Amino acid sequence: MDRKVLIRKIIVYALYILLLTSFQVTFPGVISFRGQVADIMFVFVVMTGYFFGFADGAVVGLITGLFRDYFAGPAFIGLDGKTARTVGIGMLVMFLAAAVGSSFFTRRMHRNIPFAFLATAACTLIYKISGHIIAFMWTAATSDRSYGLTVSSLLTESILPQLLLNLLATIPIIFLLRFAGPYRKGINPAADREEIGGNSWLTI
Amino acid sequence: MRRLLTSKWFIVALVSLLLLAVIVIGALPGSPLHKGLRSIGSVASPVQRGVKHAGNTASDFWAAVTDGMAIREENEELRDEIARLQYQLTQYEEAGIKYEELRDAFHIRDTFSNYDIYGASVLSREADEWFAVVRIGLGTTDGVKMPEGDSFAVVDVEMNLIGRVIELEDNDSTVLPLLHEGFVVSGKVNEVNGIGVTISGDAALKSEGLCLVTGLSENETLEIGAEIVTSGDGGLFPQGIPIGVIESVDYSNPIAITATLRPYADIASLNDVFVMIPYSVIDGWDDEESEEDEVRPSDTSDDDAGE
Repeated sequence: MDRKVLIRKIIVYALYILLLTSFQVTFPGVISFRGQVADIMFVFVVMTGYFFGFADGAVVGLITGLFRDYFAGPAFIGLDGKTARTVGIGMLVMFLAAAVGSSFFTRRMHRNIPFAFLATAACTLIYKISGHIIAFMWTAATSDRSYGLTVSSLLTESILPQLLLNLLATIPIIFLLRFAGPYRKGINPAADREEIGGNSWLTI
Repeated sequence: MRRLLTSKWFIVALVSLLLLAVIVIGALPGSPLHKGLRSIGSVASPVQRGVKHAGNTASDFWAAVTDGMAIREENEELRDEIARLQYQLTQYEEAGIKYEELRDAFHIRDTFSNYDIYGASVLSREADEWFAVVRIGLGTTDGVKMPEGDSFAVVDVEMNLIGRVIELEDNDSTVLPLLHEGFVVSGKVNEVNGIGVTISGDAALKSEGLCLVTGLSENETLEIGAEIVTSGDGGLFPQGIPIGVIESVDYSNPIAITATLRPYADIASLNDVFVMIPYSVIDGWDDEESEEDEVRPSDTSDDDAGE
């Protein structure tokens, strides 16, 4: 890869990771609805995977996840009954978001902009549903209290507001990545060639 | 084999397994991974503070532009109020002197006289419903230490409960907010012999900004609008910190009566908070420091002797 291209990529990604992460944890109330906040970090990672491929998405996802863990690493009730902060969950979530984001609607739809919204929606739904399942199971294992959320309240209080907010956040992120992103003309020439080994299954 | 090793989904599975191992190791008490994560702060914190400063400056500038007329009117009103308050202040100063005399005479204890208050600004807030801890700008460099397994109450400017400190780092600390599912505090209705209750965060109520109230028995009646304060049971929080008011009570299940509580403090609108540290803990720091001071000269003399 051309050195100038590489330097531009590193600087742009570093800048966006730091600024978007800081913005989300400093002003979460700017884009919020029904107690949920727009997950700018998550959308950024999914969109990086979608537009620029798995390799870029994975690296950006891991670093963004590290910052997410530092700023707001989730606290859970441990098996000893004490509440403690965890390390690594943000990295895992963001890495998987990038992997899934780089797999949906990328080949047949040529990473086009309308399907970017569908990629955000799919990744948000997978994240929220699996997150609630894990939280429900963890609550059942560590506490005698019920999880409290019914299916309808999950939809109206958590999943649908988050979906709406993330779709809104997708608009500026697409503009950033396509028109002021890490690659000239908003296209990573290596993304479509990165079909590493036999990974074509699950790629739509 | 090479094809498998370079397969995207093999890499995903491998990295995921590694990260799961990181999560498990990070969950162990005293894990070194937490220290590693703190080093991220040297890059992340200055940028985040810069973003916060830029956002606040922009917001202040916008407010200055839009609120000019309103501020002028408010200024007039405030001048009148200052004059009135200055008169009141002289009266209260006299009353204060009398109260001090009476307090000494009757051995009255101030509610929070055993606690020192440390101010801190809110650095970062929740990222989503699970990544929901708050960071504040108070750390060990401010001379604060937190004994293992201990925690400090965090309140707002009106002494309303916000949460508790769960982790203390060099320049900042992590606060578990009142609405978090992991937060539990013993409370009571703010009256003589008030009913004792347990207040905790709840996944279903969090989005509405409410807490769950449990621990009520069948023959106890909790009034809507009743003020709940900390009971002091458990020793983590001092007695009498206002938490919030009862918003609804559900008597449908007599063996598990529950209620909802609306906290007074709104973390989303706070910029500054206060950490309550017992003097008993602060005395412990002083003892540690004096012990260290005693050890240091002998170390030096040993070194000198060696030389």
